[in-house]
Amino acid sequence: MAWIETVVNGLLLGGLYGLIGIGLALVFGVMRVVDGAQGEFMVMAAFFAVIVLAAAPDLHPLIIFGLAILFSFCIGYVYQSWIVNRSMQSSDPLAPLLLTFGVSIILRSVMVEVFGADLRGLQLGSLSRASIAIFNINIGVMPLLTLATSIVLFLLLQWMLKRTSFGRIIRATADRRDIVRLFGVRPDRVYACVMAMSVALSAIAGLFLAARASFTPFSGVERLLIAFEVVVLGGIGSFWGPLIGGLALGVTQLVGLKWDPNAGLLYCHLLFFIMILIRPSGLVASRS
Amino acid sequence: MHLRLVSGVVASILLSAGAPFVLGDGALRLWTEALLILTMAQMWNLLAGYAGLVSFGHQVFVAAGAYALFLAAEALNVSPYWVLPLAPLAAAFLAALVALPLFRLRDAYFSIGIWVFSEIVATLVTKSSLTGATAGLPLKTSSLMDLDWFEPTLFWIASVQALAATAGLLLLMRSEFGLGIMSVRDNDVAAMSVGVDVQRNRLIVFVISAAGCGAAGAVNFLSNLYLSPASAFDVSWVVNMMFIVVIGGIGTLEGPIIGTLLFFALREIVTGQLGLSGGWYLVALGSVAVGTMLWSPRGLWPALSARWGLRFMSVERKAPRLALQDKPNND
Repeated sequence: MAWIETVVNGLLLGGLYGLIGIGLALVFGVMRVVDGAQGEFMVMAAFFAVIVLAAAPDLHPLIIFGLAILFSFCIGYVYQSWIVNRSMQSSDPLAPLLLTFGVSIILRSVMVEVFGADLRGLQLGSLSRASIAIFNINIGVMPLLTLATSIVLFLLLQWMLKRTSFGRIIRATADRRDIVRLFGVRPDRVYACVMAMSVALSAIAGLFLAARASFTPFSGVERLLIAFEVVVLGGIGSFWGPLIGGLALGVTQLVGLKWDPNAGLLYCHLLFFIMILIRPSGLVASRS
Repeated sequence: MHLRLVSGVVASILLSAGAPFVLGDGALRLWTEALLILTMAQMWNLLAGYAGLVSFGHQVFVAAGAYALFLAAEALNVSPYWVLPLAPLAAAFLAALVALPLFRLRDAYFSIGIWVFSEIVATLVTKSSLTGATAGLPLKTSSLMDLDWFEPTLFWIASVQALAATAGLLLLMRSEFGLGIMSVRDNDVAAMSVGVDVQRNRLIVFVISAAGCGAAGAVNFLSNLYLSPASAFDVSWVVNMMFIVVIGGIGTLEGPIIGTLLFFALREIVTGQLGLSGGWYLVALGSVAVGTMLWSPRGLWPALSARWGLRFMSVERKAPRLALQDKPNND
């Protein structure tokens, strides 16, 4: 029974990993940019929510979440249109990479200087610690909500990309940014919207992380590698892949920790390394 | 060309030979650190700028060199200087071992794959009592070294490494082999079609790059007399290499030198002169990176050399021109 509980908790943790990976996968799939600052945007949303909650303790958590997501959406739009778009004009793929790593270092260091490096949490009353029992297995409400939210968001994103005209524009821009211009599409605007969505998705991950556990300014960078692993395992450019990759890594991490308590992320990394050697293009075949 | 190269090397040797007698202790230590970082940056540059393989996991080779030095010095009970050559060998061996699986991965997959490999090795080393686990290793045979000459000796070793890395890269890239490497970076299919052995070239460059990082890493931890897994496998190593190379100018030999000077100047000014905390230094470093990437995505050196027509260690090849038009440039 204890093992089943571990696997279930691993799936719930995987929901969070999937949520972290999906934003990165979106940006990489559309713009071919590895965004090193995604983790910092995650933490920034959490800090934003903590500040709003401190200023107005009576606000409903959903309103605070909504404000934080809106805030992140705007930040993402500005970040792409002011900074990243400009560096994407060079043919060298290293320029946007270093640029986003630079932004990540700036954001992280400023957050350390302003907020300090102490552990913080987003206290949502009883919700943060609540749990329900199903077949004698204790399941936290927050982790369950995280997994449910990430599945819903994956479905929504899938639907948007496949069925709406905006989704078609995004896919067309990802394939041929030069040709969509002929149809009156401005690739820079599309990229800004995609980055805004991606940062908003990271913000949701950050809010869930802050509500279920605690965070520091380093929480983002600590999860950057696992987010990369989620994206690569899922197959770059595929949109269901990150969720599957996240779930696999979440289960592996908790089962590994139960079996070998001081292993850290060793078994996640081993799984990733073995998988990537067997299938160098990811678990789910790439879209293109 | 050879005259300039030889005179440059001789001047550098004379300069670094005399430096310890002029510089104070603090300055000497700073320069040692800078030269070691320069060596690592050139090695990362060799791999990323010339062979097109962007590594996020070079800290594993820094650590491999350092662990080889500390473990060998203890096992053989000799002065650490004697086992220093083992450091690049250990890093090269590790690189050759992992190259086979890693080379199946392309582009971003390679970058992340090698980072994950580094994390796996780091966790195994941290768990093993053989390598001192989380506590790390003290340098047991440090008493066998002449401590009066400790700082100058390390400085000289670091100078030799940085000089060997830079001059070696210059010669390598001007050779036929270097041309083959750069052709792989620019278009591997085309390179293969004219008979360049892509995998063999990549392997050689990867092993050299790892060996250089191992040697520099070993000297760095030798100067600390103590080795901890957290600092040896710190991802900052590769982040610093990447910042220095990309800010200075990737795929140029002058770029990493400019990048290293800027990197240390910034640190000394922000934390020393202005007296701010290390966090603000990182903010400044990040801002320089962002600014450089917006202003000159190829890095500072290509922008400067284009503006003022400066060329010191160019490996560029020019098509032969007609003798009547212009005197051919032998660079």
